[in-house]
Amino acid sequence: MRVNDAVIGILLLAFAIATFAYARTLPAIPGQEYGAAVFPMLIAVGLGGCGVVLVASGLRHWQGAVVWSDWARTHHSWTKLAVVVGLVMTYILTASTIGFVPVSILVLLIFLMMMRVRWWIAAAAAIATTMLIQQTFGGLLRVPLPLGLLGP
Amino acid sequence: MSAITTAFGLVFQPSVLVTILLAAIFGLVVGAIPGLTATMAIALLVPVTFFMDPVPAVGAMVTCSAMAIFAGDIPGTLLRIPGTPASAAYTDEAYTMTRNGEGEIALGANLLFSVIGGLFGTVVLILSAPVLAEVALQFSSFEYFWLALLGLTCAVFIGTASPVKGLVSLFIGLFVSTIGLNNPAGVPRFTFGNTELTGGVNFIAAMIGLFAVSEVFRFVISRSVQATPQAVVGNLFRGWGRMIVQYWRQQVRGNVLGTIIGALPGAGADIAAWVSYAVSKRLSRTPEKFGKGHVEGIVESTSANNAALAGAWVPALVFGIPGDSITAIVIGVLYLKNMNPGPTIFLENPQYIYAVFIIFILANLVMLPLGWAAIKGARTILRIPREILMPCILMFCIVGAFAINNSAFGVAVMLVFGVLGFLMEENDIPVAPCILGIVLGPMLEENFVTSMIKSDGSFLAFFERPIAAGLGVATLLVWFVPVLLAALRSRQAAIPREG
Repeated sequence: MRVNDAVIGILLLAFAIATFAYARTLPAIPGQEYGAAVFPMLIAVGLGGCGVVLVASGLRHWQGAVVWSDWARTHHSWTKLAVVVGLVMTYILTASTIGFVPVSILVLLIFLMMMRVRWWIAAAAAIATTMLIQQTFGGLLRVPLPLGLLGP
Repeated sequence: MSAITTAFGLVFQPSVLVTILLAAIFGLVVGAIPGLTATMAIALLVPVTFFMDPVPAVGAMVTCSAMAIFAGDIPGTLLRIPGTPASAAYTDEAYTMTRNGEGEIALGANLLFSVIGGLFGTVVLILSAPVLAEVALQFSSFEYFWLALLGLTCAVFIGTASPVKGLVSLFIGLFVSTIGLNNPAGVPRFTFGNTELTGGVNFIAAMIGLFAVSEVFRFVISRSVQATPQAVVGNLFRGWGRMIVQYWRQQVRGNVLGTIIGALPGAGADIAAWVSYAVSKRLSRTPEKFGKGHVEGIVESTSANNAALAGAWVPALVFGIPGDSITAIVIGVLYLKNMNPGPTIFLENPQYIYAVFIIFILANLVMLPLGWAAIKGARTILRIPREILMPCILMFCIVGAFAINNSAFGVAVMLVFGVLGFLMEENDIPVAPCILGIVLGPMLEENFVTSMIKSDGSFLAFFERPIAAGLGVATLLVWFVPVLLAALRSRQAAIPREG
């Protein structure tokens, strides 16, 4: 999925303007000319400059706002991408209440089945990986993986 | 002398040696699997090293990266798919050799010259780092500002196909580094009242997203079918003596060029391999044999990519300026371990520096037996089904990002950067300058603002000290020479048309 450079350029330009405007509101260090605002403003100028260059080069090679590559023409790929993003978000939102072990098994199982792994292999891999992580990160490295429902 | 003895004591402990061994095996497996890069190996390793003492943590990363860069050659030779980008330069050549029935010579050369290249780079690191550190002790904020800027400049202009897109990536990284309270004035920037953001965007989470999660996304949409690797049956050690004698020039050239390119901030093992392969072809007596299964170019470029790894540590240890994206990650870890890179570490904690040197030598020596085992076991490694591996890697990424602060916020940062990294690569915006920007941003800003305050806002002060002036001129040359050359070329092209 190749977005035309001009579109990227306009997005960058808008982002740069917003950054610049926000950076101007940052308080100065009393008695100093150079404080917290200088660096973000310089970055905004740089990004804006890149944006302008990209707009110019993008317009020269304009073939539509987006050129869809092979994968992007199929619903399949988009669904798969959305599922992966959704799985990570599910983990973020539910792991603390439901617990690491059940959420991890569920996330892995859905992802593996989506990759067309046979269900019993998927179940075995999901449980084995979750247990491995629980033992190494949770046990050996003492990372407090959320217990959730399994907790006291 | 006592520091060296202490260093030996630090390294030769059973727990450290076992850590190094495990990291080596991990690096070999990850490097050998196409689609998993050396940087990804390091990204997955960092959350684990987080919980280790400084020496095993650094040891694990050094060993893992060296092994991964070598192991990338294995699928390149057997499948024609480079395991890591650093092997891409000579993948076709090596695969042609396999098809000609000379796979064991190609892999043997990869192993032998990876080890020699790695050891050469290590010797340069050991000899040059302390000397440079002496010089660096005289540096003030002006020199450090130029060094950081030179590093970022090289990352944009050397490592990328399109400098503008490299710059975009760099500015995104620099912007991310400004988020939070960590700035000269100590005011919250771009936090929008979010308390989690006041601590800044954690670079480990960002890096796991950029280098590992984005690969998972790319895998999900790829339609590649897992190919069966070609078999290698012969004796790996066949022809080693002959190759060392016959190709001594190529080796030396590859080693030297690799170390130099590695030490250049922003350019790493992959660029070293490409440049060395091209140089080898140009200077060869038999350039017509290149591309038809000729080992000469492989010798030179496989030496170069492993030499580059150690070379990249020179600016990383001495100035805190990463030589490539792997050392960018390492520098972040060194700070976490209170092993702040820079010239003072050579005075205050020389035992750590010696320990790093010893680990480099060890890592390259254990590469011989372990690399041999990896080549012998390659068919098994390459048969690991990636549709099972990738979901498991995603779960390790999630837990790794969580473990940094034990909060789901790290996972959210990882996801955002995973999507960002995926979109950037889809549009040919390289991700390496972004991670360099995140790591070097605070250093660049602090030294810039300090210098501006010291000089009362005069830019001329940046050129008043001799070394600062030299570095400044070098930086400006990297910026303007390509532009001037392009202008000259277009004028020359225009003249005959007018005539």
